[in-house]
Amino acid sequence: MAKFTFTLNGAPATVDIDPSTPLLWVLRDHLGLTGTKFGCGAAQCGACTVHVDGEAVRSCVYTIDSVEGAAVTTIEGLSKDGLHRLQKAWIEHQVPQCGYCQPGFIMAAAALIAQQPKPSDADIEASITNICRCGTYARIKQAIRSAVMP
Amino acid sequence: MLAESQLSRRDVINGLAAGAVVLVAGRLAPTQVFAQAAAAAGTALNAWVAIAPDGIVTLQCAHSEMGQGIMTTFAAIIADELEADWSKCEVVFSPVAPAYRHPVYNWQFTGNAESIRSYHALIRKMGAAAREMLIAAAADRMRVPPSDLAAREGSVRHPGSGRTLGYGELAAAAAGKPVPAEPRVKPESEWRLVGGGRSLPRRDIPAKVEGSAIFGIDVKVPGMVYAAIASAPTLGGKIANVDRASVAGTAGVLAVVPLDYAVAVVAEHYWQARLALEKLKVTWQPGPGGSFDDANLAAMYAAAFASDAGWATAEAHGDAPVTLSSAQRVIEAEYRSPWLSHAPMEPMNATVSVTSDGVTVWAPTQGMQMTQIVLAKVLNVAPEKITVHRTFLGGGFGRRLLADFVAQAALCSKAAGRPVKLIWSREEDIGRDWYRPAFLDHARAALGPDGLPAAIHHRLVAPSILAPVSPVPVEPGTVDGLAVESLVEHPYKIANRRTDYHMLQVPIPTMVLRTTGHGPNNFALESLIDELAHAAGQDPYQYRRRLLAENAAALAVVDRAAALAGWGKAEAGRVHGMAFADCFGSYLCQVAELSVIDGAIKLHKMVSVCDPGRVLDRVNATSLIEGGVVWGLSAALYSAVTFANGHVRERNFDGFRVVTLPDTPELVTDFLQNRPAIGGLGEVGPVCVPAALANAVFAATGRRVRSLPLAREGVFTIYGKTFS
Ligand code: FES
Ligand code: FES
Repeated sequence: MAKFTFTLNGAPATVDIDPSTPLLWVLRDHLGLTGTKFGCGAAQCGACTVHVDGEAVRSCVYTIDSVEGAAVTTIEGLSKDGLHRLQKAWIEHQVPQCGYCQPGFIMAAAALIAQQPKPSDADIEASITNICRCGTYARIKQAIRSAVMP
Repeated sequence: MLAESQLSRRDVINGLAAGAVVLVAGRLAPTQVFAQAAAAAGTALNAWVAIAPDGIVTLQCAHSEMGQGIMTTFAAIIADELEADWSKCEVVFSPVAPAYRHPVYNWQFTGNAESIRSYHALIRKMGAAAREMLIAAAADRMRVPPSDLAAREGSVRHPGSGRTLGYGELAAAAAGKPVPAEPRVKPESEWRLVGGGRSLPRRDIPAKVEGSAIFGIDVKVPGMVYAAIASAPTLGGKIANVDRASVAGTAGVLAVVPLDYAVAVVAEHYWQARLALEKLKVTWQPGPGGSFDDANLAAMYAAAFASDAGWATAEAHGDAPVTLSSAQRVIEAEYRSPWLSHAPMEPMNATVSVTSDGVTVWAPTQGMQMTQIVLAKVLNVAPEKITVHRTFLGGGFGRRLLADFVAQAALCSKAAGRPVKLIWSREEDIGRDWYRPAFLDHARAALGPDGLPAAIHHRLVAPSILAPVSPVPVEPGTVDGLAVESLVEHPYKIANRRTDYHMLQVPIPTMVLRTTGHGPNNFALESLIDELAHAAGQDPYQYRRRLLAENAAALAVVDRAAALAGWGKAEAGRVHGMAFADCFGSYLCQVAELSVIDGAIKLHKMVSVCDPGRVLDRVNATSLIEGGVVWGLSAALYSAVTFANGHVRERNFDGFRVVTLPDTPELVTDFLQNRPAIGGLGEVGPVCVPAALANAVFAATGRRVRSLPLAREGVFTIYGKTFS
């Protein structure tokens, strides 16, 4: 066990925990934020995507000891005031089916458009590598495109 | 006629007291969500409709929401007949109770694309009955005949005087009115919420983009602890010995629970359970199949073909064998679909609290009644003592019809004396599934002088897919009605047709997967039709038209798909492949458009035209077909499980590959509404994808691929070349 302190959605957070615990389970079980999902546990699906210091990371393989002092943002903290424009676009395009993968996609897309405000289709295809078993990719692409339109 | 149980108010109220779960209230914390259940009711007018004094209407959804939009469309059908104000309707997942069972099967489950088509008539009547009771109550209050009154958007109005009474004011009195046996359902022209090209924003979507929707894995109940599980290293293997001392003193560990073919560790936190599970020393007995592998399985399929025993005839019209034996031209081919895992995005999980007072379950389940029955048996308690709260499902695809994972969670709770949330790893999920088995169809067709098939004879070998989900036993040597779907009762006019089926016995658990028998059998039948068209020197689209000439609705679907795809007019370098299906009460025709670039295929477009009789929600219906196409592309291109040493090789998405964003083509989807009855949508979208794709690959390359997935046959997409 060891103590780790970091910033979570803008507020300080401290946990006392086995250092090998993935950030995913710290968020879900210890800090009560269940919007970040477990899909594969092996960095293959992206359901667990969160931002660490602005970068999209797959929290299922990101151990808590590497989060010390960092700023973590989850789907619950993506927008301070209501919905992020991606979330609005997601609703407008009625993107989710089962919805389980969607927080991960939204976090991956949010990191993309923070770094590349006008991503091309090729940019979207290259950087959104998450898995959606319900097959909502076409609407995800449309929603990202519409969210970055002037 | 309405079944009596559906109208007994006592049943209804008991049902509500048992606790429906409100999951639509987006921003509530998980614990609040469940606490709110009891407050959701109001005055019940029947099993489906309750109205509170403030006019809030609570509508029961008998089904599970796994992305098919059912909680919105199902409730909207009731609300439409009820003439409710949709903005004042709340939707809850119904309890597991007789009132909510499938009207024909008397069994509550979500699957087989049945949620709308089998309940439509019933729930319309229930909405209409409640509306008439509200009108009757208003007639008393206003002292006018009911026929002078009109219900509209949550109130009853007397047009003559302009007086209006809200449903909230009327509900208590309405509940005392006799239940009309034959209420007047609205003609389609008066529908306001469903049909007519309308669409309602789905109720579950805002919570799903905020991250506040509660899936099974998100459930939190007071005192809850966690379990991780590992199953035997060979399928069907059992525990020989568990060395509990190997995890003594490990942080957080509360219990080690042997579970027949698996072992679970319960700990304060999930990751502690996972760490302890890795340390736990277990010795296993091999399963009944020992160290079987793909080669053993292939030999079993081949032996079944060679043998005369174990066959049953699923369909016989005319005399296919005789026609074939005297035919001038016989085309013969073998089609194979692989073993598949369901791999829904949310791994199997359940939360169960077993106490001396009863059992409470919170589970992402498609098999709510199955859950109750299985737990009653496993725990030896009365089914009435088991309360099943249903959460959102992170996909299901059939897997969640079973309750094995709920039973495991229950046994963990019993052992630990605490509520337990059991979570399977993805490796467990893919490695210990109840698989969609491989299908092997040997087809022979006789071509007549007109080039059309005079006879087709299918001999299908596949293990049962129905057995584990059927309330009645499915015996070897008989026909599994789901396994032969699409080979039998298809609308092609072929005078002599026969399908024989051999229910193979395998040492692997098997069950239905989205598309049931239609998926693998449509690949076989529609590849065969394509082969026959080419053998006859005819255009595959026109060939299908000839076979469907007497079926106007089916022709319309094929024609519309051809028109949308620009059949025969593909731009240079591109080709089309077509497939057609009659499945789940709907017609579907899909046309794939692709080109070949550097030896790999680039899929440009998939056109889907579906006739489900009636489209109740246009945007949602489109979404289901679109998602179905992508799901079907995974099955067509990449996905399969294989066996070595008595177990599945693929354990995660690196081995069990699925389509990702770049492989998604342009999707063109349209609907026709010529079929007389409402058909299904949830399972329809993927059905023709494999055959349409394989037929397009033939058009492009001249190579006929008769085995799925295409990538294992060396057919790669330009994005999928890394397939290993
Ligand atoms: S759960 Fe982390 S990438 Fe799949
Ligand atoms: S919406 Fe179900 S997995 Fe993506």
